[in-house]
Amino acid sequence: MKSKIVAKVFTLLFAAVLITGSASIGAETIKVGSLNDMTGATSDVGKDYALGIAEAIHYVNENGGINGKNIKLYQFDYGYRVPEALTKYKLFKRFKCVAVLGWGTGDTEALSPTVTKDKMPYVSASYSGHLTDPKKTPYNLFFATDYSTNARAAITAWFDKRWPGHKDNGKRKPRLVCSYMFASPYCSAPIRAIKDQAEILGFEVGPDQDVSLFAIDTKSQILGMKEFKPDLVWHGNTTMSVAATLRDAYSLGLGADHIVNNWGYDENLPRLAGKASEGVMGAAVCAFFGENVPLMDKVLEYAKKYNPGVPDEKRLIRTVQAWGAVFVLREALKRADKAGGLGGENILKKGFETMKDFDIGLGAPPVTYTATDHRVAGQVPIYELKGGKFQIVEHVDLKKRWPEKWAGEWIGW
Amino acid sequence: MSTFLPCGVYHQNYAQDHGWWQTKFIRGKMILLFFVLFIAIPRIADSYWISVFNQVGYTILGALGVQLLIGYCGQVTLGHAAFLAVGAYTSTLLILEFPWPGFLTDWGLAYPISIFVAAIVAGIWSVLFGLPSARVKGFYLILTTMAAQFITVDFIITQYVSQIGGRGQAFSLPPGTIKIGPWVIDSDLKVYFTMLVLVILCVSGLVNLLRSRVGRAWMAIRDNDISAEVMGINVVKYKLLAFFAAGFIGGIAGSFWISNLAAISPEHFPWFWSLWLVGVILIGGVGTIHGTIFGSLFMVVVMELLQLAIIPFADTYPKLLMDFLFIKEAAFGLAICLFLIFEPNGLAYRWWQAKNYFNLWPFSY
Repeated sequence: MKSKIVAKVFTLLFAAVLITGSASIGAETIKVGSLNDMTGATSDVGKDYALGIAEAIHYVNENGGINGKNIKLYQFDYGYRVPEALTKYKLFKRFKCVAVLGWGTGDTEALSPTVTKDKMPYVSASYSGHLTDPKKTPYNLFFATDYSTNARAAITAWFDKRWPGHKDNGKRKPRLVCSYMFASPYCSAPIRAIKDQAEILGFEVGPDQDVSLFAIDTKSQILGMKEFKPDLVWHGNTTMSVAATLRDAYSLGLGADHIVNNWGYDENLPRLAGKASEGVMGAAVCAFFGENVPLMDKVLEYAKKYNPGVPDEKRLIRTVQAWGAVFVLREALKRADKAGGLGGENILKKGFETMKDFDIGLGAPPVTYTATDHRVAGQVPIYELKGGKFQIVEHVDLKKRWPEKWAGEWIGW
Repeated sequence: MSTFLPCGVYHQNYAQDHGWWQTKFIRGKMILLFFVLFIAIPRIADSYWISVFNQVGYTILGALGVQLLIGYCGQVTLGHAAFLAVGAYTSTLLILEFPWPGFLTDWGLAYPISIFVAAIVAGIWSVLFGLPSARVKGFYLILTTMAAQFITVDFIITQYVSQIGGRGQAFSLPPGTIKIGPWVIDSDLKVYFTMLVLVILCVSGLVNLLRSRVGRAWMAIRDNDISAEVMGINVVKYKLLAFFAAGFIGGIAGSFWISNLAAISPEHFPWFWSLWLVGVILIGGVGTIHGTIFGSLFMVVVMELLQLAIIPFADTYPKLLMDFLFIKEAAFGLAICLFLIFEPNGLAYRWWQAKNYFNLWPFSY
């Protein structure tokens, strides 16, 4: 009797597999893989990004898809672990995905030789400057200004706006310290560029402080910084860790200004750091969630439609960034599809690299990719927090200000 | 050589007693296994499954050292990923930065030599962290091995080694640099063959070592270190030798890893990986080489199969895919609990039971 029940259950399960499996047969779809971090070191920003990816793909499918074809999304959490990312990537290949929406710098840089060999367009949430040189990483792309460009712009904005009013201006060099997790490729990606920019602007650079992505207490690092008496601290971690550092800097009276890389600068920062976040500057690669910019109404609509359990006030700029990644991929796929097919090389050459000042909306800078440069733009909007609200300080245009360095020296790092 | 073993033991010397393939049947099984591994799998499996097997091989190579330390020498370790990291970085730096004479790179010897050097360096590094084992045991030793992880990966590699060449944190090996002779390792299949050869060499080497005086000394230390010392075994020397051998194999594992990915960063060797390797031998069976292989197969292949099984349901329940890592982690924890409660000897014991059953079949009473 028991065995009959077991047999029935298995038959039903098998039938369910067949039915669900066969439902997709017949409909023309384009398969896209997505690696996300819902549980790992960067899950504080990764969860919202993952929601955004799924919502944006729904939007694309419900609004014409890719020239009439729907995107089928395979979305996996890989817990920010490189070996896990590798097996998931191989699984995407097995599913015949035409492109991958990736996540962190560690796995994106680690997979870079593999995606180059496989000619797999890889649109990452890592905006590492190392991924912008098509000679080295032709299939790595993203819609945003890279970490190095963001950091250079943020330091420049502080130098332009805050340093002139400083009591010691003209008496000595401004002092800069970097606070980030040394072991994380994401955090350390722009360090070389930061030190280069500091030299260009005449900063004195103090010893770097190693702050974990999981940090909840950073007093020893703040005390380490105090010995150097910095005027400016660059933070390279994600929001939770940056908030902890800002709180400790406030309570120990560090007396420095702060600038934050984009993955540490979101709506949660003033919530977590409170008064300590007042005046903190940072780069944002697109509009914050709910800002009045083109297509934000759709972002809000789809957030409500597909994740009604997550209220708007809990959503972050990460959702908008995810939409940016999906939109730039959608455009590339559309162009490549019209121009002969969705092979990796075609998506790159006839898709991405044909975009010139392409406006994806969402408050992001217009996107340009060329065969020799995958940095999307040279202009970065720098914000500051005032009364818990983000206010624009300056649009720093590195390309205009240092045209020769931008064109040659700065590419790829 | 007879086809089957006769009922009873008729060995007349140690060579017969320790013979690997004592019957034609066993030899036949091994030849079949050779065909399956070298011919059938490469022909049948697609790139995805080959990469899964590569992951299995990497896990075996990593867990062999842990098995040696915990299973054969009784030295509990929770920092083995550090030695994999030392191997991987040594190999990478030798390939990228060492001024090789032209003929060595032309002949494709840089990578094979780097594997050997990496194994030696990782072995010596492992001995350094094995030194406290002369004075401490149990929980205290676990803490000193954990220190290996944090000192090696989080401090030395991250802060200093990664900065070599000014690249930042991640090293990436240009295409064509990982080659053995004229054979450029640039596809999953080539990585698979490299993995097979390395696993076979390491398993054979370790099994032979375990059958020698050294292996017997390790097992004596595992069973009771005081008794071992009374019997005249130099406990400190053999413990350190165990750390060296474990680090040596760990170094090979690390060198293999770079051929699989052509890139490394400190994030590839988290502390979690050290813990994972201990889980592998707990599930496979502590104190058996078979256990290392079964544990690796279980932890990698079963998890992949579980993942593939839920994919057909993903259209209806898309969150299943996203939540799979939760399922995987829960399954990992649950598997360790269940094995410790119901089968503390691991999968290898089940294998041994099945073999015994068929050895006597059909008269298994």
